[in-house]
Amino acid sequence: MTDAVYLDNAATTPLDPRVLESMLGHLGARRGNPSSLHAFGGSAREGLEEARAGVASLIGASPGEIVFTSGGTESDVLAVLGLARSAGSEKRHAVVSCVEHAAVREAAKRLQSEGFEVSWIGVDEEGLLDPAEFAESVRPDTALAAVVWASNEVGTVEPVLELAEICAAKDVPFHADAVQAAGRVPIDVSEAPVSTLALSGHKLYGPQGIGALYVREGVSLEPIVYGGGQENGLRSGTENVAGIVGLGTAARLAREEMDDRVTHERELRDRIVAGVEEIPHVLVNGHRGRRLSNNVHLTVSGVEAESLVLFLDSLGYAVGSGSACSSGGHKASPVLLAMGLSEREAFSVVRITVGKDNTVEEVDDFLEAFSTAVAQLRELSPLYAG
Amino acid sequence: MSDRYRQQVVDHLVRPRNAGEIGDPSGRGESGDAACGDVVRFTVGISGNVLEQVRYKVYGCAACIAAGSALAELAEGKHLLDAASVSKADLEDALGGPLPAGKEHALTLVLDALHKAFEDHWNRTAGEMLFHAKSGRAIGGRSVVAAMSGGVDSAVTALLLKDAGYDVATVTFRLHDGERGSRSCCSPDTVLFARDTAHRMGLPHFTLNLKELFNRRVMQDFVGSYSEGRTPNPCVACNAHVKFHASSFLADELGFRHVATGHYARVEEGPALARPVDESKDQTYVLWPVPRDLLSRTIFPLGEYRKTEVRAIAEERGLAVAYTPESQDICFIPDGDYRKFVRKNVAAEPGDVVDRQGQVLGRHAGVVDFTVGQRRGIGVSAPTPLYVNEVRPRSGQVVVGRKQDLEVREVRVGNLNWFLDPEEAACVQVRYNGSPVPCTLEETDDGGWVASLDEPVIGVAPGQSAVFYTGDGERVVGGGVVARSGS
Repeated sequence: MTDAVYLDNAATTPLDPRVLESMLGHLGARRGNPSSLHAFGGSAREGLEEARAGVASLIGASPGEIVFTSGGTESDVLAVLGLARSAGSEKRHAVVSCVEHAAVREAAKRLQSEGFEVSWIGVDEEGLLDPAEFAESVRPDTALAAVVWASNEVGTVEPVLELAEICAAKDVPFHADAVQAAGRVPIDVSEAPVSTLALSGHKLYGPQGIGALYVREGVSLEPIVYGGGQENGLRSGTENVAGIVGLGTAARLAREEMDDRVTHERELRDRIVAGVEEIPHVLVNGHRGRRLSNNVHLTVSGVEAESLVLFLDSLGYAVGSGSACSSGGHKASPVLLAMGLSEREAFSVVRITVGKDNTVEEVDDFLEAFSTAVAQLRELSPLYAG
Repeated sequence: MSDRYRQQVVDHLVRPRNAGEIGDPSGRGESGDAACGDVVRFTVGISGNVLEQVRYKVYGCAACIAAGSALAELAEGKHLLDAASVSKADLEDALGGPLPAGKEHALTLVLDALHKAFEDHWNRTAGEMLFHAKSGRAIGGRSVVAAMSGGVDSAVTALLLKDAGYDVATVTFRLHDGERGSRSCCSPDTVLFARDTAHRMGLPHFTLNLKELFNRRVMQDFVGSYSEGRTPNPCVACNAHVKFHASSFLADELGFRHVATGHYARVEEGPALARPVDESKDQTYVLWPVPRDLLSRTIFPLGEYRKTEVRAIAEERGLAVAYTPESQDICFIPDGDYRKFVRKNVAAEPGDVVDRQGQVLGRHAGVVDFTVGQRRGIGVSAPTPLYVNEVRPRSGQVVVGRKQDLEVREVRVGNLNWFLDPEEAACVQVRYNGSPVPCTLEETDDGGWVASLDEPVIGVAPGQSAVFYTGDGERVVGGGVVARSGS
């Protein structure tokens, strides 16, 4: 698969060689535990704190507000459960959007099973939340609100600034899942009054298995992992130093290169959109304008997603599918259903996400392969009449 | 196997064999549902029982596309009997091994679609013939079409015939829509289970859609009987008009000599219908209406076995059906509540409950709720228990009386079907689990027969079967439907 073209950057990005280089010093014989007093520990601690500053710089935070976790999922779950459980017994309500990543969605369901009431905020057909509806749902007994900054599926960028301000005015903690948005959308926590914000390493050309949670100073959070009290007591356990260092490097690079990356991604994204729109009955999902620079999310009428993804894979192109089929039943994405797609439509979606290293040539080749795959699968499909 | 697809699957996905659709097919079958995410359609061209052309279309995951492609490739050019034997295991072999976990459903789905295309072919061929077929072309050698319900008896029937050296083709009938455990995407589980069982024995499996015939000849008759004050026996109606005719039709089409079912009975020279070795499972009472020419080509292998032996065979040979529960209810009324079923299908008019002198004792909600001999649910209190003696649909009256009022000594029988000379009839059985009562039989002017019983019998309801046996009680002379009884 050496020649394969990778267009699934929302699933994970390639590891930037510069990131890898920065990690190597913490993977060899000189590895230390940041809690140790000796030189090995000191070197690890230095790497840790430098990375903390790097991550903080990406979102305009102070280094002390960054908690390292095992990834985006842990950051989201720590925020949702942690905010809810430290809110006090009279606050048993949460406001959560219908287009959250599974980590936030499942954590909110967990709260429901613990007796919390959850208001699920719907979206329009482009996946966009209505701030007015959101505002109405925030109550005096609301323990937290959580909204994805930009959808990992359809790429719609939510009006997070406005939503966070609504919550700040009512003194309700607000969690933003910025796993996909970071590095693509300018994020500045000194302007957006979010309480917590989730980041992930491997969506930023950093390593897998590392993430961070921004926790605004003064926000109280109940931990979900207990032990040695690392990360200000919010995330016990010996730190993944190499991963953290990698994330720090990735965050710095993302901040420095954001404008160039976004410009490049937009060009590729728009080229793909223009290309696929020449094929009949291919619809772009999500918001046209408020959209991640790297995301193309499509409904390909008459074609089942998995077969299209594997077909493209066999031609050397890696893209993402929006549904998974198993045991004779497909599971449609709740996000797509919330946007008003039918189950059948939701089984026919693919997600193409470009990255900083993709080229115009790759995109043009992909469009040709995509057109071939769609034509052949439609030829085979009893549900596509043309 | 991991959850990754093998190279063979990807190859079929990218280069599907036999993709497309035949414009004017011999049969067309579809399985799956767009709302489930998978739809498979097969069209077949059949000539002289050879599958000359197979085309398929799929909307679905890679497993479905590849399985459909592999099946189309395997089946094309084969004799129907071989194509109908292609199993899930054969498909797995063709795809290089088992599919990833959770994808096995693709195999079921594509097989179901192809088999529905075969079914469509048979039903197109049959047309009206299926409703009237009485042929007995009796061609071929040791060959038999065995009806399979998905239960242990019919599975062992097919197995015993195979062991005995017969060419066996199995068939499952679609009779009604109330079948057990329907998965929305596929055929009901009973059909899938029967197909799996047949394929595990290496036998071809077919389905025939008999819903219209079954509805007309069995279900409507069932409902109509109650509203006319008769007590129907749907198994008798099915044996009279459906099961054996359909098996025989398929045997004719395949050039097979025999038909077989899992009934506990024996066919002797003549043909004569004789009681089985396992008297506790005796089903001769419901087999009397099988036409002679069909009975003469019928084999009942289980007539020589006890039920316990049949279960033991199934267990020993590893048939999953060994542990299926005994079916007791009327097959199209799975919850057993036949009054609810009847009431759903006919309007019930209230009427009077009267005694034998015609005096009104109370009201009832409809004659369909009553059958002769019934004690419960009469709704009239009396010093001694009351039994329904008679149901009069025209006047809407339900006549009740004492238990001894139900005694009859004379039974009028119509719609007769004789296997032997009526002279040989020495006793009559009027209930499924009843014992034969000695009688003398006389033909009436209107073509019916009157059986005069040597001893009184309780509760003989019009609509039930009266089956005549020889003096030793072993062989069925013939049978008919009780028209009327008297004391």
